[in-house]
Amino acid sequence: LRGYYWSGLDCSFNVTFVLSAPLNGNTASLCGSRALQRTICSSAIRHQEKKASSSAKTAKDFSYLPPLPGHDSALRWGGKKFEDLPIVHIKATYNNTHIQLTDSAGQSVVRTSCGTEGFKNIKKSTPIAAQTAGISAAAKATAKGVSFVRVVVKGLGPGRLSAIKGLTMGGLEVVSITDNTPVPHNGCRPRKARRT
Amino acid sequence: MARHLRFISRTVMVQNGDVDAAYKTLNRILTQDGIVDTVKRKRYYEKPCRERQRKNFENCRRIYHTEMARKIAFISRTNREDPWLGC
Repeated sequence: LRGYYWSGLDCSFNVTFVLSAPLNGNTASLCGSRALQRTICSSAIRHQEKKASSSAKTAKDFSYLPPLPGHDSALRWGGKKFEDLPIVHIKATYNNTHIQLTDSAGQSVVRTSCGTEGFKNIKKSTPIAAQTAGISAAAKATAKGVSFVRVVVKGLGPGRLSAIKGLTMGGLEVVSITDNTPVPHNGCRPRKARRT
Repeated sequence: MARHLRFISRTVMVQNGDVDAAYKTLNRILTQDGIVDTVKRKRYYEKPCRERQRKNFENCRRIYHTEMARKIAFISRTNREDPWLGC
């Protein structure tokens, strides 16, 4: 199931390369993707290795897909490869937002949350609180010498986007955004439905 | 996805520091793949009877919308070949 979530993106890239080879065609066709491209790509086909090897390395070539550890890509951020960059885990729950910066091995470097920023109760579940947490996390990280960072977001909460914005406002460079929201394939039974 | 390789799926690279565009792209991918929908629905338990009702309703809604879109597309055909060609 590795390629499952890339169904739409994969196919649109394939179609782009087959139809035309403009310089900035990738982003244009992606942002303005037609309904036809979307309805075609509904199967889970994974061609990432083939695509990465077949994509021409032009001057302005940019791929939305991350460079795989086995695949040698020439992209470096601060001299580091993609898999050596530190990771920022953002857990955006409905009541709070936690931000933890770890290095590529998993050792924690910086840990902030809306609560550690002085917000209480309902004010923690706001995008502004998440933004302040992001700014303070970025400040502490730059004090420790971190510049480029990958972001992993977990959960659908109010601080999901504003935490990333706070990181960029605080001075960290975001290289990629991953979504790691836990999706159970019908595992644990959640709590009962609320009646409001 | 704790048991899968990390940074392979559900990942978007940021181009030229444009975090907003990357986040929008990620959001679009997630909604198109139905993940946002699933996460919202699984927040509270949905009883099987409610699930069957919802699936039925969504089926009917999908049929209705596709048929209506087909009808509108048929009625609003504007690019036709000229029927009076040559006159």
